[in-house]
Amino acid sequence: MAELSDIRNQILQDEIEEYLERPEEITRFIELFSRAKPALQDIAAAIIEGDDDAADSLTAAALEHGIEAIEIMDDGLIGGMGIVGIKFRENFVFVPEVLSCARAMRAGMAHIEPILSAAGVEKHGTVIMGTVKGDLHDIGKNLCIMMLRGSGFDVIDLGVDVAEDTFIDAVEESGAKVLGMSALLTTTMPNMGRTIEAFIDADLRDDVQIMVGGAPVTQEFSDDMGADGYGPDALSCVAVAKELMAAGA
Amino acid sequence: MESQQNGRAIPTMTSRERVLAALRGQPVDRTPVCCPTSVATVELMDLVDAPFPDANRRAEPMARLAATAHTILGFDSVMPVFSIIQESSALGCKMQWEGKDNWPTVRMSEPIWESPDDIYVPNDLTSHPDTRCVLDAIKLLRQELGEEVAIIGKTMGPWSLAYHCFGVEKFLLLSLDDPAATKEILEKLKKVTIDFGKAQIEAGVDALTLPDHATGDLVSGEYYQRYLRDLHIEFAERIPCPLILHICGRTVDRMGFIAETGMAAFHYDSKNKPAESMDTVAGRIALVGNINNPETLFSKTADDVKAEVFANLDAGVQMIGPECAIPLQTSIANLRAIPEAVQEWHARH
Repeated sequence: MAELSDIRNQILQDEIEEYLERPEEITRFIELFSRAKPALQDIAAAIIEGDDDAADSLTAAALEHGIEAIEIMDDGLIGGMGIVGIKFRENFVFVPEVLSCARAMRAGMAHIEPILSAAGVEKHGTVIMGTVKGDLHDIGKNLCIMMLRGSGFDVIDLGVDVAEDTFIDAVEESGAKVLGMSALLTTTMPNMGRTIEAFIDADLRDDVQIMVGGAPVTQEFSDDMGADGYGPDALSCVAVAKELMAAGA
Repeated sequence: MESQQNGRAIPTMTSRERVLAALRGQPVDRTPVCCPTSVATVELMDLVDAPFPDANRRAEPMARLAATAHTILGFDSVMPVFSIIQESSALGCKMQWEGKDNWPTVRMSEPIWESPDDIYVPNDLTSHPDTRCVLDAIKLLRQELGEEVAIIGKTMGPWSLAYHCFGVEKFLLLSLDDPAATKEILEKLKKVTIDFGKAQIEAGVDALTLPDHATGDLVSGEYYQRYLRDLHIEFAERIPCPLILHICGRTVDRMGFIAETGMAAFHYDSKNKPAESMDTVAGRIALVGNINNPETLFSKTADDVKAEVFANLDAGVQMIGPECAIPLQTSIANLRAIPEAVQEWHARH
């Protein structure tokens, strides 16, 4: 079993020691980073620190040294963002810090995505994402999309202020099995329920698994309006999407 | 009629007297029911023929719809500003006025400014049609309601205005990358808050809600202290009427700082427990809230609404109302349950 001291990068060691509390998460990240190549540990540390310049140059250097793009993404970029997601969930960091880390991840992904795309790596499936009608907030939705794409999903981003019919048309046209809706405002949350009702009225509810999220949204609200899944943050969005994709298969 | 508080007889108050006393920390005959944000609904729009977006842009329907908070719902205050976008429209933000069943909003993906140097706050901001209509509506409400009901206005804080004018994501990243530029933005935008607030006082409001969305769902309590506490102290000193700070979401981690601002009240969200919140502010600022909107007022029964009202009253919360602007499809019956519950609670205590 790997030890914390097996991780070469001091920033990663400190982050795990200071911010991770759940034993299974501590074990998972020690295992991940202790077996990760030193160059990828450095990339993960750059993501955690929100250093986009470092994430950019370290990712480019790792590719030049022949490390596989998928390995850089999994062990470096997503590994680092996983720690950020936990810190956000536990209120150690907030949205500005997460946005900064996401900017660093995008800098790294800019090198990785064209390679994965050209290689035709098999995806987990397609997820449709959008912020509901009347709501123009997209930070949470965009973070979810970044994590979903980084985790191997194709994502169709419908943007903000998405009407019920637009969600329905997108599902019909793409055949996507999972739909994610976001809302930041308590005043627009009811539009999630209306969209779900519109899918029922269109006789399409059984064709798609629907997940919801956003700062004011709760598990109780999600259950009450008949959603299939709920995630409190971008990290859990990926896990929920994987569950729903399996359920809808 | 009179009520007893701490053994002292308190004569029956008008709604306005009740709200103003609560804001001043003075005894009240019963806990006031307040709407520091908005209680506009589609049902109320239909009853007085004052639909959105008209009621957000013209003084007469704005005043008619605002008055329903008292005349139909039985609240002790009225609030003519239903949204948070009047000043942003006047500053030139791109708007989406929507229809009857949706809130107007700013197109924050199309920000109007990129740096502090771009900020321009016109001296005649309060002459713009979308701010002028608020001032005219306040005058109409005062004519119609006289001294009977508290009229609460609304002036947006610089943090919220910055979201609208710079875009939420860009502004939040700037707050991390360049604290000096962030402070410069807030310093320049405070003129909007003060000018519009003072204009509403001249028009006749009794108090002002000051939304400034530095919520725990977005930023840390340390952020509130670093960027906003001193500005909010300045507002309390320079805007000559009771101020009600409004911040949605989790805020208990910053309520200690908020309690230091000198504002009269803090309008708080149901994500914060009443008793814990009261303990945190420790009598330094009044609390108003915190009936849950999407799950309780919108989705549940009047009895569920009453249970939340009782929890707030049991904790000693000084003014009762929805946690934030309510979903437009919320039923009148559930909203009426708030003042009914307050009456029932006081009849038992």
